[in-house]
Amino acid sequence: MKWKKEDIKQYVQAKEYIDTIVIPLIPFHLSQDNELEKGTFQSEVLSLFSNEIEKELTGRVMLLPTYHYLKSVNKEPEADRLNKWVEDVQKQPFTHIFFITFDSSWKKNEQALNGTLLWLPGVSSGDLHSKEMHGVIRNQVEQIVELIRSYW
Amino acid sequence: MSEKKQQVSRRQFLNYTLTGVGGFMAAGLLVSPLRMAIDPVLQKSTHGDLANVSLAVGDITTEPTRVDWKIDQVDGWYESQVSKSAWVFKDENDEIQAFSPVCKHLGCVVSWEGSEDFPNEFYCPCHDGRYYKDGTNVPGTPPLAPLDVFEREVRDGMLFLGEAKPKGEA
Repeated sequence: MKWKKEDIKQYVQAKEYIDTIVIPLIPFHLSQDNELEKGTFQSEVLSLFSNEIEKELTGRVMLLPTYHYLKSVNKEPEADRLNKWVEDVQKQPFTHIFFITFDSSWKKNEQALNGTLLWLPGVSSGDLHSKEMHGVIRNQVEQIVELIRSYW
Repeated sequence: MSEKKQQVSRRQFLNYTLTGVGGFMAAGLLVSPLRMAIDPVLQKSTHGDLANVSLAVGDITTEPTRVDWKIDQVDGWYESQVSKSAWVFKDENDEIQAFSPVCKHLGCVVSWEGSEDFPNEFYCPCHDGRYYKDGTNVPGTPPLAPLDVFEREVRDGMLFLGEAKPKGEA
C-alpha cells in the first residue's frame, strides 16, 4: 500500500493484515557539483526499488513517504526525528518497521533507529531504462522481499 | 476524322456538364454515410489491446512460468509505461492459460510453488493465500476468489495477452 487515498481506504478496512512499514531514506544536497549526478541517480533507483517492493508485497506492506535529509548533516538528530515517525506509526497495529537506504552512514547509526535498517550497496551509475538494469533491480528486489519475509 | 474537328453540340455539351456536376454532388453526399459505415474498421483500438509478450507458443510448458512485458497506458494526467506480468502454462487439455499474479486478497504478487510446503499451487507470501493450478483459491486461505485470467490469443506462433479479467469472463 502507498500513502494514497485509494490505498488508505483499503488499509482502514484491512488493518489487521498490514503489519509492515517501509520508509525509504534518501539524502539530498545541491552544493557539490561532482556528486549531483550520482545523488539524483541513486535517489531514482531507490524510489524504483521501494515501489517494486511495495508492488510485490502490497497486501502486507505500507510504503511511507520518503524521508529526505541533507547529506552532510549529523545523523543523530535525523534518527531522533525518524523515531518520532515510528512512534506515530505505532499508534496503528504495525509490528515491523524497515528503513531502506543506499546511504552507508546510516549503518553506523543503526542502533539509534527504532526499526530494521536495510542498507543496500548503491548502484552509482548506469542507464535506468536499460534491459540489464531491469534485470539487476528485479533480482535485488526478489532478495529484499525474501529478507522482509524472513522477519514475518 | 483527323481533318474534321469533332463537333460537340450545345445539347451534348450541356448534358456532359450537368452529369459531371451532378455526379460530383452525389459523391459528396455519399462520403459521410460511407465513412460512417466503415467506421468500426478504422477505429484505433487503444483499450483492450493485446500485447506481444515475446513468448513463442512452442516454449510454453506445463510448468507455469512468469512472463513480464510492458504496455503504454494513458492514465489521466500522464502517459506511462506499465509493466505487467502473468503466469503462463499449458493445462492438461493443451490449452494456454495465463493467470494474473495479483492475489485476490490484498493484491500481493503470488508465485508458482512459492512455498515448499505447498507444491503444485500458487502461493501468496503475504498471508499464506493459496490457489490450485487452475487458479481456484484454496478454501480456508484468505483469498475469496480465483486468480484473474488474461485475455489471450496466438498470432504467428507468438503469445499475445490483453487485460486480466475475473475468471469466467475471459
